[in-house]
Amino acid sequence: MNTPHGVGIGWRPEIAGFVAELPGLRFVEVIAESVPTAGPPPDDLIELRDRGVTVVPHGVRLSLGGAEPVDPTRVAHLAAVAQQLAAPLVSEHIAFVRAGGLEAGHLLPLPRTHEAVDAICANITRAQADLPVPIALEPIAALFDWPDDELDEAAFLNEILDRTGALLLLDVANVYANARNRGTDPLALLDRLPLERVAYLHVAGGAEGGGFYHDTHTDPIGREVLELLAELCARHRPPAALLERDGHYPPAAELRTELDAVAAACGFPEVT
Amino acid sequence: MTPAGAGPAGPAGRPVGSLASRQAELVAALVAGAPPPPGFAPGPLAAARAALLRKRAGEVARHWPLLAAGLGPTWPTVFVEWAADRPTGGGLRDGWDLARALHARTALPALGAEELAVREAQFRYDGQRAPRRRRSPALGRVGAVLALQVAGRVRLLRPARP
Repeated sequence: MNTPHGVGIGWRPEIAGFVAELPGLRFVEVIAESVPTAGPPPDDLIELRDRGVTVVPHGVRLSLGGAEPVDPTRVAHLAAVAQQLAAPLVSEHIAFVRAGGLEAGHLLPLPRTHEAVDAICANITRAQADLPVPIALEPIAALFDWPDDELDEAAFLNEILDRTGALLLLDVANVYANARNRGTDPLALLDRLPLERVAYLHVAGGAEGGGFYHDTHTDPIGREVLELLAELCARHRPPAALLERDGHYPPAAELRTELDAVAAACGFPEVT
Repeated sequence: MTPAGAGPAGPAGRPVGSLASRQAELVAALVAGAPPPPGFAPGPLAAARAALLRKRAGEVARHWPLLAAGLGPTWPTVFVEWAADRPTGGGLRDGWDLARALHARTALPALGAEELAVREAQFRYDGQRAPRRRRSPALGRVGAVLALQVAGRVRLLRPARP
């Protein structure tokens, strides 16, 4: 089982053909909830796996940060996908996606309180007990903060990582988005995060709108995000960086250019 | 400074209540039209609410491409108006509920009517629980549009008039 290395791309059905033809590709991620476990996984993923491409299941619906215990059937699904795809690790978010019987529809930030740290650590520990492989945790892009934060972001993340032993999936676009929307310095956060625990990076595009930077995954990667990526890799380069694109898929040539830009910023070989 | 009815505040105006209840209040405010919980900055919360609706519109359009295409440039507005205070039942059900609502007020475009008729022939959906695939042959009827499903294969018997 190969851990992620080099430049990867988020596998999505819409770009499966493009992904299959990337000659140097060694690493993809797939949205775990989109992979059925009743039957075989999609053929394209099986082909990638059999070619030796590392496939990491990326969960978006576990709601590890929910106050209630994580749903064991959702953990079991994530575990089954990891096994089917021979994944060396899985990833999820430091976030919650439902509460009080309502689905939010996307990742929501936790209050950075000791109570919330206790809740998410308990859920991560529950998930780890049922997962066949390590889990990497991704801090999200948040458009708002809770009014009663007790910890700053670095202290909050470090506490969770230290208590669970989980790996870090650092999304450079999220770091940029949060710093931009809170008016803080993204490099100051990077200085306090354990970069040696990063399993891989995420990079994605976003857009300004209504006075906020939105982490859309449907726009090209901005220059500032690429610069932050390069700055991070200059400090301590993680083993892999993955481009996330979730809609408004551009022509293949543009996607290749984005992948090459990620490779250049990190100093990784091009996969195109 | 706690708005009336928002529950007690702790020392220094700090909100109290369990994490579970506070998460539930927040999600209800974001997706079900409930009042915002005390202490949150309204601008960022409104931005988050709008972003969730945009994400949701994209997910529904993936499940209902013809419905979204039929509405063309009005799709985002139509969806957001309908969805603003309605919690999601997932992309498939959201689009289904919206298509039925539009049909009820004769605002369903032809492409959406065909897509809905095909779905009605394929699945049994009571508007409450997840749609279930029909085992036996069925007709899907949306106004004059008619779709026939036999052994899982669907044919439009009578398409929408252009």
